[in-house]
Amino acid sequence: MAGIGFAQLIDLLVGGLAIGCVYSLVALGFAMIMRATSIIHFAQGEVMMLGCMCGLTSLWLLPTLPLPLVLAVGMVSSGLIAVGMELAVYRTLRRRRVPIMNVITATVGMSILCINASRIIWGSEPLRFPELFATDAYVFAGVRISPQLFWIMVMGLAIMAALQLFLKHTRTGIAMQAVAQDPETAQLMGANLTRMMAYTFAISGMMAGAAGVMLGSMFFAFFEMGFITGVKGFIAATLGGLGSIAGAMLGGILFGLIETFSTVFLSSAYKDGIGMILLIAILLVLPSGLVGLWQKRS
Amino acid sequence: MAEAVVSSSYAPAAERRTVRRVTWVMLAALVVVPWIEPDKFVLHVLSLIAIASIVAMGLQLLLGGSGQLSIGQAAFYGIGAYTSALLTTQLGVPFPLALIAAGVVAAIASLLMVPITRLTGAYLAVATLGFSILVYLLIKNEEWLTGGSYGFIGIPRPVLFGYVLRDAMYAYYLCVGVAALVYLVFARIDGTRFGRAINAIRQDADAATASGLPVTLLKSQCFVIAAFVAGLAGSLYAHEVRYLAPNDFTFWKSIEILIMVVIGGVGSLPGAILGAAVVVGLPEILREIGDYRMLVFGGILMATMLFGEGGLAALFAALGRYGCSLWKRLALRSPTSARDAGR
Amino acid sequence: MSAADLFEAQSATRLFGGVRAVDGVDLSVRRGSVHGLIGPNGAGKTTLLNLIAGVFPLSAGALHFAGNDITRDSTAERARSGIRRTFQNLKLFLEMTALDNVAIGLHADTRCGFLAAVLRTPRQQREEADIVERAMQALLFVGLGGFAHVRASTLAYGHRRLLEIARAIVAAPQLLLLDEPAAGLNATESAHVTELIGRLRDRGATIILVEHHMDVVMSVCDEITVLNHGRRLAHGTPAAIQDDPAVIEAYLGRSVEDDRARD
Repeated sequence: MAGIGFAQLIDLLVGGLAIGCVYSLVALGFAMIMRATSIIHFAQGEVMMLGCMCGLTSLWLLPTLPLPLVLAVGMVSSGLIAVGMELAVYRTLRRRRVPIMNVITATVGMSILCINASRIIWGSEPLRFPELFATDAYVFAGVRISPQLFWIMVMGLAIMAALQLFLKHTRTGIAMQAVAQDPETAQLMGANLTRMMAYTFAISGMMAGAAGVMLGSMFFAFFEMGFITGVKGFIAATLGGLGSIAGAMLGGILFGLIETFSTVFLSSAYKDGIGMILLIAILLVLPSGLVGLWQKRS
Repeated sequence: MAEAVVSSSYAPAAERRTVRRVTWVMLAALVVVPWIEPDKFVLHVLSLIAIASIVAMGLQLLLGGSGQLSIGQAAFYGIGAYTSALLTTQLGVPFPLALIAAGVVAAIASLLMVPITRLTGAYLAVATLGFSILVYLLIKNEEWLTGGSYGFIGIPRPVLFGYVLRDAMYAYYLCVGVAALVYLVFARIDGTRFGRAINAIRQDADAATASGLPVTLLKSQCFVIAAFVAGLAGSLYAHEVRYLAPNDFTFWKSIEILIMVVIGGVGSLPGAILGAAVVVGLPEILREIGDYRMLVFGGILMATMLFGEGGLAALFAALGRYGCSLWKRLALRSPTSARDAGR
Repeated sequence: MSAADLFEAQSATRLFGGVRAVDGVDLSVRRGSVHGLIGPNGAGKTTLLNLIAGVFPLSAGALHFAGNDITRDSTAERARSGIRRTFQNLKLFLEMTALDNVAIGLHADTRCGFLAAVLRTPRQQREEADIVERAMQALLFVGLGGFAHVRASTLAYGHRRLLEIARAIVAAPQLLLLDEPAAGLNATESAHVTELIGRLRDRGATIILVEHHMDVVMSVCDEITVLNHGRRLAHGTPAAIQDDPAVIEAYLGRSVEDDRARD
């Protein structure tokens, strides 16, 4: 590890945390949908991508739009798109009680539709976001941090905190948790299953949309961006423990750090490979993720 | 899964006979095609369809047979393609040997996946996806081996018994021949211990385990077999288009293969061939689709999941049954029989 | 474990979270006997059966079968050693014919794999013929002879229960675990199942039977173990069990003295 200066270490740390927040948000979406429906939503990455595209479009239309509003646009559009998917397709499949393999295949089909729709609408060239952040580095206690990464971390953590508050302290949030754990009992207690399911998709969509705008502003927006980030979000959720909200958040941050720090040892060409190996390793060795490991200990 | 399985031992005997007759007719038709339509491009497309159908049939064994969703078959397709290309260009290995070796190397690579066969459902799917991405990264980055993004050029034409298959017609016979062989092999496992075991695992893995079936071993065997045929197809592909690029073996290729199986009808072996024909052939016929190709396929995929699981195979089977009953009714009502009845 | 015992559970315990679904249960099953396992709902009968079948591991205790410690064996290993079972909620291969369902039960006894299937070697053909014959015999034994080539999904409920039994017995298992074989059956069908179990016993089978239908249990079991709240409450012959006050109390929720006082 010779040659890693302190400044570079901070850069890696901040970069890892920032991308980790993005992964966490995508992972949250996977976790919530998994808890509620037991399916892996293959199109989750595409929901993220579409949120990013919508956010970018809003910036084209209103170039002076402040960042929080861009984020809001991304989140709202993704939320609506996700709900649309649920109402148009997934609900029908669930009602028909089709084998789970068919539902998964349908989400793959949805993913293909979204990617190609995006390519037709926004083209196949990568699109840059306009400058949303200050360019001068912030200085904290002698440490220089990029404003973009800083704010992405802050926003990401804020959104996740808001989600936790929502799930634990609002009636709808608690009802959603109940439905995820035991749909029949929750229904007997008065929860409207269809609406709760729609909320689940809406919220996971919103998480994905936020992640999309953040990711887009960090790098660029393009029609296939949802694919590999979606897979990585899934890896993060699995690392934390699929189906666990806390696990998704933890897994995302952890995975972001692992991936960023691994570029020190590996060529960047194989950066994505780290995630794949980690994925297979987790699935084989620790399928219930870190949360599962924690639970076994206690 | 698909109710209307076309060529299975569970279909009534009369239906099985019809399917067998249709199969022979189709085979005969395939043999005759180059004499009717010798256009090189048409034969080239048909060869590509045959090659695609081989990979699709392998996935059909995995998905429609043992119920394992793999979205990483392109990895074995790619491994087979590059193996065959390397053996023939760098080591001067004769084509037939390279073809077999391609399958074997792909099968050996799939042994790496054996631990993954413990997984089920979406977890297995994602694991195959991860593996496929790894292989893609290897193909793209190891330029010394594969030529990376610059591509692998100069792959020779297939050579059989000393003859270079220069003519599109001979290449066509090669591809169709191998495809027919794979089809016949897979069709044979119906009604045998192995075929039953595979289907049992798909329908209820717990009950299969409780009956003493070595589920993981059987699932692994399916994986290896599917990888082997994908490797064979890869070799044929390499020597047909004679140029390889990493972009031919991405995740999207794996998805295309899945689409072939789903459109054709999960659970149906001829369906895999129909699906391959649609996915490879349709864009050629409808040039205007071009860019919208994947959009159309994504839509068809969703529609199939929502409306008609049995896919094209079920559609054809239903049409066939309807046609037969129509035929019978018409035969009873024909004027000659009425005249005879009148006498 | 005595020589006459084919199967023994020692202090079998299974925890789910904090719940002791099965709590230190001892069970001894004599070779060639039908051993009933009864108890009120939630007593742990099916859990115990699942432990014996290997569906999940014991939290504590040990299991012995034919002189071997099988505590750590997997379900498939136990099945291959000769322990077969039926399922409470029926787990048939619905897309297959009845004959093929039963044929699966013979998988572990046979060997021809993919290559043999493709080449249709003489050995494969002999083996296949043997499988078909043995499967037919099993179907005839349970009374489903005429349904051999019928798709399992089209079978009536009563026939599905019989098919499940046929699949479990075709390989002549040493120990047969029946999980509520008469569930949902009417009187005639129950009687048929009772008679079937009797015939199996006459052929030397050893059976552990979980059942709610008391007429089936009392008429065909040689010995009964009663569970309540995961613990063994009583065990003995059917007659002894029927008169056991603790058993009556567990089932009816009041003691024999209360009953007498009321009269």
